[in-house]
Amino acid sequence: MPVVVELPRLSDTMEEGVVAKWLIKEGDKVKRGQVIAEIETDKATMEFESFDAGTVLKLVAGEGETLALGSPIAVLGKAGEDPSSALASATSAAASAPAPTEEAAPAAAPASPAPTRAPAVEVSSPAAVSVSEDERRIPASPVARLIAREAGIDLRVVSGSGPHGRIVKADVEGHAADPSNSATHATLSADKDEFGRPYAARGDVTHRISQMRKAIVRSMTASKFSAPHFYLTMDIQMDAAAKFRSECNMSITGTKISFNDLVVAAAARALRSHARVNSAYTEQGIVEHGDINIGVAVAIDDGLVVPVVRHAEQKTLTAISQEIRSLGKRAKNKELRGEEMQGGTFTVSNLGMFGIDEFTAVINPGEGAIMAIGAVREELALDEDGAVTRCRRMKVTLSSDHRVIDGAVGARFLGSFRDNLEHPMRMFA
Amino acid sequence: MAVLQIREAIRDAMREEMLRDDRVFLMGEEVGHYEGAYKCSQGLLKEFGEKRVVDTPITETGFAGVGIGAAMCGLRPIIEFMTFNFSAVAFDQIINNAAKIHHMTGGQFHVPMVFRGPNAAAHMLGSTHSQAFDTFYTHIPGLKVVSVATPKDAKGLLKTAIRDPNPVIFFESEVQYGIKGEVPDEEYLIEFGVADTKRAGADVTLLCWGQSVAIALAAAELAEQKGVDVEVIDLRSLRPLDEQTIFDSVRRTNRAVVVEHGWPYGGVGSHLIARIQEECFDALDAPVLKVAYEDLPMSYAENLEHLTIPQPSRVLEALEQVTYRS
Repeated sequence: MPVVVELPRLSDTMEEGVVAKWLIKEGDKVKRGQVIAEIETDKATMEFESFDAGTVLKLVAGEGETLALGSPIAVLGKAGEDPSSALASATSAAASAPAPTEEAAPAAAPASPAPTRAPAVEVSSPAAVSVSEDERRIPASPVARLIAREAGIDLRVVSGSGPHGRIVKADVEGHAADPSNSATHATLSADKDEFGRPYAARGDVTHRISQMRKAIVRSMTASKFSAPHFYLTMDIQMDAAAKFRSECNMSITGTKISFNDLVVAAAARALRSHARVNSAYTEQGIVEHGDINIGVAVAIDDGLVVPVVRHAEQKTLTAISQEIRSLGKRAKNKELRGEEMQGGTFTVSNLGMFGIDEFTAVINPGEGAIMAIGAVREELALDEDGAVTRCRRMKVTLSSDHRVIDGAVGARFLGSFRDNLEHPMRMFA
Repeated sequence: MAVLQIREAIRDAMREEMLRDDRVFLMGEEVGHYEGAYKCSQGLLKEFGEKRVVDTPITETGFAGVGIGAAMCGLRPIIEFMTFNFSAVAFDQIINNAAKIHHMTGGQFHVPMVFRGPNAAAHMLGSTHSQAFDTFYTHIPGLKVVSVATPKDAKGLLKTAIRDPNPVIFFESEVQYGIKGEVPDEEYLIEFGVADTKRAGADVTLLCWGQSVAIALAAAELAEQKGVDVEVIDLRSLRPLDEQTIFDSVRRTNRAVVVEHGWPYGGVGSHLIARIQEECFDALDAPVLKVAYEDLPMSYAENLEHLTIPQPSRVLEALEQVTYRS
């Protein structure tokens, strides 16, 4: 049965190629691995080693002719065999195969391969390069090879977790499942691992700047460059707050009070007696806001939004909790209305759930301060008798605009805030 | 269904076949008056008389040869070896006469008989009484070899062995005679060459037979706690071998381990591994491993014997190795 030799993929970005020079002629006997042609790719002219052995029945491609990947360029077989039927079926297959590629290529980014191109990768690339460039056999389990072959994954860009770097089934499956590993995304790095196999190199990706990102850029830059920030950090005992919270949760239904809800309530109530912290610098003067509207920073896909809990100092804990839950959920679904994110006078940003102990936040324009909340953590402490006990602590860092708030003002506010959390009944008594 | 011990299932199989076919008889040391060294022939002498339940002297070559002659003359003998260790004395009869007469006589004679008894290490029997003969007998063309691990399999396979027109080596185990299990009340046969999946699993195929079945199942339990889902296949019949079930499973799980109650050099396990790599090469994700006796004569000392025989923990190590957990 004659074998049709197809134009191989010799570089990752190669879409077409030219047989620069034939090194065989019709009637020659070809061995597997013999260099039969020089192929010009988009990068270089490379030697093409035959995957098959046999007598050259026909040279289909002329020298200098530009051809699509996978186009038949020659037919090998037994001396005297007729190449035409094999050639006919290969040509019809080639004719039907590249069509979708042509269609997909202009629309898709160059990095994403059209599915019809996968077989070309599989047939040509690993074999061609592994023979000519790298004689070393990649350690991979047979089933890993099979899966890679079927999925068109180049084993050289898969890292092996087995003994001696062996690529096992889980590695190939993990590679295939990782969207950043599409066959053409990764190329071979010049750097090699201890087994001599190149690392996978991946190019930079530039993302369009979304409207939300533009708003973040605008407001954060304006704030950080115009408002001189200073930072006050305080460590707060949270045992009473934790106890209070669990008692609350035993007596209410419909929501569960979180530490963050308590923080919002405590900050709002402290702001009532520290109006200067609930203020903003304007050209006309320092505006102490009458209302206490607490912004709650919510991380969403590719950004964050800050919905506002209005009149927070007058709301019950249950109301605050329900409102924050609702705002957070709708923020994640991108269902917030514009006015729900406006009118904030003070902001709380909490990264405790990510295990952050403490951090500094950037003040939202139009506000005088922002409070950054860390995780509630369990620690050892000494009680009054000097015995070691467990306690819970939480660090908060207040970023203040020094144009309106001085250090002592911020510190006094933090003191009230701390008292509210360390003696939660004060807020409601 | 009745719950029987393996020894009772073996007795019932022989009894049913002796009732069904008066050419069937049992011969061996202590099978009659003593009712079997491991009580596998309880009540048979009383029921069938001395002509069909024959106590022999301690002459394995002699009574194995008598059995072969009787089979050639049209009877259906069951030869009990008190243990297969003693079959070593009758080795020439078994491998040169029983296995080859059908072939050498161009099919004029056939040898429909069963050699049965306990095989392989049991518990503190010393090195000469702890031989595993699986490999010796499966090696010989002309013999069929089965190895049982449950009462149901023992009964169904022994009845098939007694009816088979060829010499059958039927392996039991001293430490398994007391194992209990459900046995169907109605008559049934279990075909040779059909493996039984004792536990379904997705991550590793664990091959076992005879005494290694219990070890494999225990190892599978340990592996489950580590998140490795093991498929345990009891081969039951070593020759003919149910290769299809093995290959189908390995192609699904991509990994295989053999637990062998025998020595590692050569052997049934090695043959299984050879066949798997021949037929399932592209399906394999890891080298196929074998867990067998340590390559030493069996120790009498209990602690050393324990270390020599594959334990579930040792099988677990292999399971973790082929799934790249270790």
